[in-house]
Amino acid sequence: MSESNEQRIEDSYDVVVIGAGNGGLSATAFLAQKGVKVLCLEQHNLPGGVASSFVRGRFEFETSLHELASYGPKSNKGSIRTMFEDKLDLDTEFVQVPEAFRLILTKPGEEMDVSMPFGVDNFIDTVEKEVPGSKESVEKFFKVAKEIRDAFSYIGKTKGKPDQGVLFKEYSNFLKTAAYSVTEVENALGIPEKAQKILNAYWAYLGLPMSRMNFTLFASMVLVYAEKGGWIPIDRSHGFTSAFDAKIREFGGRIEYNTRVDKILVEGGKVVGVETTNGDKLKTNYVICNASPTLTYNKLIYPQSEVPEIAYKDVNARIHGLTGFVVYLGLDATPEELGLHDYGYFIMDTMDTDDAYDSWTKLQAPKGLACVVLNNAVPGCSPPGTCMLDITTLYQPEAWKDVKPEEYVDLKNKLAEELIIKFEKATGSSLRGHIEEIEIATPATFARYLKLYKGIFYGYEPESWDSIIPRLSMMGKDVYIEGLEFAGGFNRRAHGYSSALADGLISAQLTLGKLLQGGGKA
Amino acid sequence: MSKENEEKLNITVRSNTKDLFAFTKLVPNRKKRIERASSEPLREDPINDLAWKLHPERQFLIIDEIKKETKSTMTFKLVSDPDSETKELAYFRPGQYISLKIDLEGVRITRPYSIASTPKDALKGFYELTIRKEEGGFLTRYIWDNWKIGTKVESSGPEGFFYYERLRDLTHLVGIAGGSGITPFRSMARAIIDGTIDAKLTLLYGSSQEDDIIFYNEFKEMEKTNPEKIRVVHVLSCDIVTLEGCEKGLITKEIIEKYCDANSSTFFICGPQIMYNFVEKELKKFNLPVKRIRREAFGEVKDVLTQTNFPKEVAEKVFKIKIHIGDLTKEIPAMATESVLIALERANFNPPSKCRSGECGFCRSLLIDGEVYINPVSDWRRSADKKFNYFHPCASYPIADLEIRLPRDL
Repeated sequence: MSESNEQRIEDSYDVVVIGAGNGGLSATAFLAQKGVKVLCLEQHNLPGGVASSFVRGRFEFETSLHELASYGPKSNKGSIRTMFEDKLDLDTEFVQVPEAFRLILTKPGEEMDVSMPFGVDNFIDTVEKEVPGSKESVEKFFKVAKEIRDAFSYIGKTKGKPDQGVLFKEYSNFLKTAAYSVTEVENALGIPEKAQKILNAYWAYLGLPMSRMNFTLFASMVLVYAEKGGWIPIDRSHGFTSAFDAKIREFGGRIEYNTRVDKILVEGGKVVGVETTNGDKLKTNYVICNASPTLTYNKLIYPQSEVPEIAYKDVNARIHGLTGFVVYLGLDATPEELGLHDYGYFIMDTMDTDDAYDSWTKLQAPKGLACVVLNNAVPGCSPPGTCMLDITTLYQPEAWKDVKPEEYVDLKNKLAEELIIKFEKATGSSLRGHIEEIEIATPATFARYLKLYKGIFYGYEPESWDSIIPRLSMMGKDVYIEGLEFAGGFNRRAHGYSSALADGLISAQLTLGKLLQGGGKA
Repeated sequence: MSKENEEKLNITVRSNTKDLFAFTKLVPNRKKRIERASSEPLREDPINDLAWKLHPERQFLIIDEIKKETKSTMTFKLVSDPDSETKELAYFRPGQYISLKIDLEGVRITRPYSIASTPKDALKGFYELTIRKEEGGFLTRYIWDNWKIGTKVESSGPEGFFYYERLRDLTHLVGIAGGSGITPFRSMARAIIDGTIDAKLTLLYGSSQEDDIIFYNEFKEMEKTNPEKIRVVHVLSCDIVTLEGCEKGLITKEIIEKYCDANSSTFFICGPQIMYNFVEKELKKFNLPVKRIRREAFGEVKDVLTQTNFPKEVAEKVFKIKIHIGDLTKEIPAMATESVLIALERANFNPPSKCRSGECGFCRSLLIDGEVYINPVSDWRRSADKKFNYFHPCASYPIADLEIRLPRDL
């Protein structure tokens, strides 16, 4: 139809951002603010990607955020709060979640039930109470974590070119732990096994066992939660991603929803444009891609002959992370009536993270859950007399590969029921008579809405060889097509909301730098 | 922890040299691992394949059979169009709908219809839609006049939340249906019989005339062969009733409690808006928890003027809507008493839409300027959408000149 031809976008842009997930939004906002002619294309009809919300009956559910890291109180702002408030002036409001977490281990003989506070000293003292004699070693953990934080800050100040002498002198522990797993370093620090269990409770946020998880990244995460707290938007993740959308438009940027990029046009190793399934033909020399490198190199680069061999090798070398399974419950009782006094619950059979990870590779009730009672941080988030509970677990996509459509509903209900029962047993709460709304997201759900490769929403697994230090060190050398940058959870800072948001900003800065160097207008 | 430097920490994991050496090898190791990896492209993605089978964005269908049910009702059997990319029909949950895209003399509109057949029928390769010809309804008249065996029809994937959910609902389901609102219950009843759903169904089915009852014989047969699982009670509002075992009048509290124990049932309501208004008042008398009453979205509010808080003074007005869609900007007229979506369709715009009830969020658009009326029962917007002026054109009525940005259809 001619009308639909007229609706096509045919123009040239300084930068096209593909995907309005966390990384795509922060990249677009930054560039728009700098006056760059930027267009963000999003295949869904909402911003945010996994950072969203949905309405069922009387409830508006949070899709995925448990607690935002690096936000912090006004008096002690983290980098994300600085970005939101001081750099972008986003119209959004966050509250701090009341406690760090409650960890419940259920396997007979290894039971534990401990509630952890925020604040480094409080955290250490609570571990000491649970595990007398652990204090000194746990203090060391935080000391190293702080050294890592300071080292990153120093490297940042030197624009990525630190003085080797200073690094060796001031940040030797940062260097010496960089190549090791959490388990290796915690053992070296002499942290008692039981104290390690508590320290490691956040592991599900990165989703690989402690024997493989890089220490640098993990220690940084634990420290930032302990120091800055965990934060949650009062109107779900859709609140802040919508604030991004509004701000981008205010800055003169453009977001086009329901617009799926199917080709990143490349000529002679350089980005020259983008095409969409709506028939848009856009000229640009710079693309910031919020889709994963895996998806981009395998599906988006056109012609395929422009994908260099090394790009395939890169994505094949890396270990793809996990997808997930979430049970969203709208309950017709208050948290008090249900005996749910905490915000975040980590419920594990044991803290044997290899075993739990292994349970995620099979189509069975997983051994590790992360659960959130949103009302305990945002009291008015659902109508009076009700509350919302999300129960999240993770899966390797392969576990779901043989599921047939006709088995799908029964399967997801069976797994959801097992998770609900697990939660009930661990907390002593009774949920099943109170379910007013239930929605279940599976790996296929994440694939449906986000079009992620295999539904994977965690990026590449940050084992030490592919953790934040080697990724940052190879920055600029691991993009194999000129004019292409990635942004988001699959990129240099690994996954998680705050990492993806911060990463988008770096990608935007790099792209702006190239634009200003006269890499030129399309 | 106040004075961190009073004692310099010195960690050794293996040995000082080994630890530093391991650090210096991080980047070379990563390069080596990448260099040694396979350069084969990744072809398989079974998870997206599953997602696509469950939720295709489009299904290309063709009419395979037409059956007259009553004087004003026909059942269309739809199969996948062999000339299209649709090779199999998406599985669904009994009670869900598909949204049809219909070209109506050059105007493209969407309309949701509950699937009347069972999920197992979809595996066999067909859906059935049972459609009643509405008085003065231009769409159903068009369907009556034009749909023949071989007519091609485009639809969405299965949508909607009007289904039995065993983790939430009690196993005794009470369906309250009015008119063509019977269709999702036919799917549910047959799915109960074929074992897809493990529940019992008591159906209270309101009709205004005996010869308007859809699936009369079919439900009688289902009752006969599965008396412990299916029961149907016809409630007729006409003066003369000749059928045996029927109730006269409307579906009242008395009739409901005669056939079920309201406190141990989950109610599912599907029918015209006027029936909801009545039945909801009756159900209120039982003081049931919210979770025990499920409602199908009933489509566009039929007569927005009757809504209490609609600003009646604009009723006669025709407003202007300035539309931005992709690179196109255009101005169209819009009546205050018709939804923004209808105005858009009249002007030959077809933004994405499915439920036409404000529920699915598919038509979510940006209200740049102006004001719309949104009926509270159709207001399913997210809270941040309210804050940032996103709205659902299918459930919004212009009460001033508007400027809006629409998403294009994918």
